Amino acid sequence: MAELTYREAVRDALSRAMREDEDVFIMGEDIAEMGGSMGVTQGMLAEFGPERVRNTPISEIAIVGTGIGAAMQGMRPVVEIKYQDFLTLSMEQLVNQAAKHRTMSGGQLKVPLTVRTQGGAGWSPGAQHAQQLEAWFVHVPGLKVAFPSTPEDVRGLLWSSIYDDNPVIFFEHRLLYPLKGEVPDELEPIPFGKARVMREGSDVTVIAIGRMVPEALQAAKQAEEEEGISVEVIDPRTLLPLDEDTILDSVRKTTRCVTAHEAVTRGGFGAELAAVVQAGAFDYLDAPIERVGAKFAPLAFAPAMEQWAIPHAADVLEAVKRTVARS
Amino acid sequence: MATEVKLPRLGQGMESGTIVKWLKGEGEQVKKREPLYELDTDKVTQEVEAEADGVLLKIVVDSGEVEVGKTIAFIGQEGEEVSASGNGATPSPEAEETDNDATEAAEDSQEEGSPAPAMDSQRERGQEAAARTAAAATEKVADSNKVERSDGRIKASPLARRLAREKGIDIAQVSGTGPEGRIVAEDVEGAAVTPAPAPAPAAPAGSDVEELQLSSTRKTIARRLTEAWQAPVFQLTVSADMTRSLELRERLVARLTEDETKPTVSDLLTKVCAAALVRHRAVNAHFTGESIRRFPYAHIGIAVAAPNGLVVPVIRDADRSTIQEIAASRADVVARARDGKLQRADLEEGTFTISNLGMYGIEQFIAVLNPPQAAILAVGATEQKPVVRDGLVEVRPLLTLTLTCDHRAIDGSDGAEFLRTVKELLEEPALAL
Amino acid sequence: MAKVEKKPRAEGGLSEDELRDLFREMLLIRRFEEKVEERFRAGELPGFLHVAIGQEAVATGVCAALEREDTIMSTHRAHGHALAKGTHPNSIMAELYGKLEGCSHGYGGSMHLYDLENGMLGANAVVGGGLPQVTGTALAYTFRKQERVAVAFFGDGATNTGTFHESLNLAQLWKVPALFVLEMNGWAESTPLSQHAPIEDFSQRAVAFGMRSVDVDGQDVEAVYEATREAREHAVAGDGPVFLNVRTYRLVGHYIGDPQVYREKSELEELRETKDPIELLRARLELSDEDFEQLDTEVTAIVEESVEFAKAGTDPKPEDALKYVYA
Repeated sequence: MAELTYREAVRDALSRAMREDEDVFIMGEDIAEMGGSMGVTQGMLAEFGPERVRNTPISEIAIVGTGIGAAMQGMRPVVEIKYQDFLTLSMEQLVNQAAKHRTMSGGQLKVPLTVRTQGGAGWSPGAQHAQQLEAWFVHVPGLKVAFPSTPEDVRGLLWSSIYDDNPVIFFEHRLLYPLKGEVPDELEPIPFGKARVMREGSDVTVIAIGRMVPEALQAAKQAEEEEGISVEVIDPRTLLPLDEDTILDSVRKTTRCVTAHEAVTRGGFGAELAAVVQAGAFDYLDAPIERVGAKFAPLAFAPAMEQWAIPHAADVLEAVKRTVARS
Repeated sequence: MATEVKLPRLGQGMESGTIVKWLKGEGEQVKKREPLYELDTDKVTQEVEAEADGVLLKIVVDSGEVEVGKTIAFIGQEGEEVSASGNGATPSPEAEETDNDATEAAEDSQEEGSPAPAMDSQRERGQEAAARTAAAATEKVADSNKVERSDGRIKASPLARRLAREKGIDIAQVSGTGPEGRIVAEDVEGAAVTPAPAPAPAAPAGSDVEELQLSSTRKTIARRLTEAWQAPVFQLTVSADMTRSLELRERLVARLTEDETKPTVSDLLTKVCAAALVRHRAVNAHFTGESIRRFPYAHIGIAVAAPNGLVVPVIRDADRSTIQEIAASRADVVARARDGKLQRADLEEGTFTISNLGMYGIEQFIAVLNPPQAAILAVGATEQKPVVRDGLVEVRPLLTLTLTCDHRAIDGSDGAEFLRTVKELLEEPALAL
Repeated sequence: MAKVEKKPRAEGGLSEDELRDLFREMLLIRRFEEKVEERFRAGELPGFLHVAIGQEAVATGVCAALEREDTIMSTHRAHGHALAKGTHPNSIMAELYGKLEGCSHGYGGSMHLYDLENGMLGANAVVGGGLPQVTGTALAYTFRKQERVAVAFFGDGATNTGTFHESLNLAQLWKVPALFVLEMNGWAESTPLSQHAPIEDFSQRAVAFGMRSVDVDGQDVEAVYEATREAREHAVAGDGPVFLNVRTYRLVGHYIGDPQVYREKSELEELRETKDPIELLRARLELSDEDFEQLDTEVTAIVEESVEFAKAGTDPKPEDALKYVYA
């Protein structure tokens, strides 16, 4: 086993793919000399050259659209959208074009495009650089959505995304980039639709994504030590397709469920999870499903306001406590 | 677009209603909330309001019984065309529509694109398939009923659990009729009616105040009694010497064969009232608000305390039935009332009601009318009382009867005459022959 | 479908025979579009339909100048492009009738015609939607060192979209072998040029990106052919994409049934008299009435057969709607 940071794990997946496969190339804003605004692609220009590590103008429509065109020709482009807030600029190409070519062509076309992006609040980026939008894409048939939270998972899933023949929106989290974790020596592809049980427990199931995975783990530890509550933490890793079986098995065991994401609660992925759990484990629920997420406002700049608005381990802990509450 | 007026479902279980009379005519202006027509349901006749503003373009059903949901009229703009047979379905054009007709339809239009009438059959096909897919999903759930779940969990909906809690029922004793044997609210309510073998429910610990939510039955009872209370009534009381009636009863009981029901004094009373009612039809009546309806037969309602509240099943044609027959009918409906298994037919068309609280030792009371019936008889306990006969004091079994009459339908003298007859027949049953 | 031979050409101009072939093709497109109008008005064709009557010379001329392995992406007004590129009328008509035998197997309809075998990468219902994908397709050709061009058809309305600008900018920046064919008919649906653009000479929009631009008379099929040939050579040589500023005329409404209340009747009549590309070529070729009749009968037969073919086609099963979502 080796140890990599989340950031290094992303780079590792990209580099290995590019070494093995000429059809893989990357493009995005400032990814070449600068190595990306998050340092993910550092060193790759030197190794692969400017043809395959391409800086682009500020043209999210063209970044994604060009990626689609090349993918339709059988290449495997991995395009980067610097901040997921800017996915909004490329929505038309993602939603109307990439997601639909296969269906509209009656199965003639494939779009094996990977769109990498990141985001994450907590450092006063301001409302336009701090959003978490994964829920939007789960709503679009034809797309796949991944959001891993560990170095091992981000490496294995990025590899799978590149080699998936469907357009994948691949969410990374800014605050997870420096996170260190063990990875197998050989890159092991991680399948879509398979969740990871991060921590076993028997009283409450917490389903968390992104930054909220480590937050949930911390809350679980506190719950155990301070309240004697045994919390099971699950990271779905891919939101679309979703591993419903693992989630439902867990809730049937614990009878209580909490969802946690950094995105705003209303209309967030937690709502979809709650519906899935309610439908699949109705007879097993002993408490209402709790959703943890950001408060419903564009994210304020001043640190105190921002920290109040985004969710933390404490919110997960309180939610856990509410599910076991008795009067 | 014209609004279709459809017969509304005014009550749970209402399948149809009878349109008695339209309050607006074709061509008349109608305002939302204005009374539009009168509808007779089994409980009561009421006015139904219009749900839209406009002109009453067409009355599709003038009077008579109509199924809930059927179109009975159209309200719209003056001059609008409405199809008499329209029931919300858009006419589906034939696929072989001639070009001429269709050219009319597909002329230059304000809209881009068109659904193309020729594709309607494909659309239907898709919709039917969608309906089948949905039905298959439902069947899957129904089938899951048959799946044995042996993990020991009690499957009950959150509502069922709460009801069980509130009623003090042990949910584990309730059998579930939902998917996969899930216990649903109805199962709990059913368990509340049949006495459970489980230990008697204790009052919830720590709380002495009980709050009973009104069931739909209770609400109906409350509504009807409130209506009844508004009627101007008078009460008449008599005491009847039951000596002869009691003797008669004993003789009848002695004659009983094995499976015959034992007639009670109440059965005798039912027969006596029936006989009196056909003689005094003024009391054997309904007050409909517009008219007084008098009946040549006596369908007598017997007030029964059922688990969910008061019900009044009807003994039909009591005037033409023997006491024995009345006893058998009475036993049947009372049993079914106590089990909560009465049908709508059991409750309909009563012409008169008898309410008997004698078994509780009540000497006398005044019953509330059972509209649209114009009269109701309250029966107390038969008690040994001193009476004066031929100048001497004797002890006789006396029964106190109080008749409540709706003064809009019955005059004092009619009520008095009826009640006198009842007393006479009770005191000398032979007079009923 | 007869294809024009690509002879190496010392002197300019197509031969008589070649022009006749092109004439036949244009007439086929014309009769096809007229038949589509007729069937739409008969209530047989659902959805949106936009016919390209008046613009046949552009589709025919451009596609005649392309090689089979070149690819095109089109707009909502795509029947002519698809036919000219090689898709059989049966395939297109069956698609309009929603049949499995349609080129998109009933999944696309008029605005989503796809025919990979013939290099038709998709008609697009989103104005400008295909443009960045053409840039990407051409990029793939560069990567793979293939001598192919990717061609985009679009109208003047599309040149106002952000997508257009991003796509041309990037295409020129990376010198990809793309041809951007502007079918300038002076209308964006009901909005005339004067109301949607502050300029009249659209070559400026290409020049603004440093892209080579060529003005073309779109009603002269030979001129279109020539210009495309040259542009193709330029692009394939690696000298960069070319913008073909083609002046053409839409002799019908935006959609079938469009009463064109926004258009001067006299203007339309005059255009029909003077700018019909078929009449112009017919005159140029000095076709006799018999010759014309014969060609007309031939193409009309083909078109009518396509309707028969379509009507006899197979309706998809309703549940097939779930197919082809993911690869």
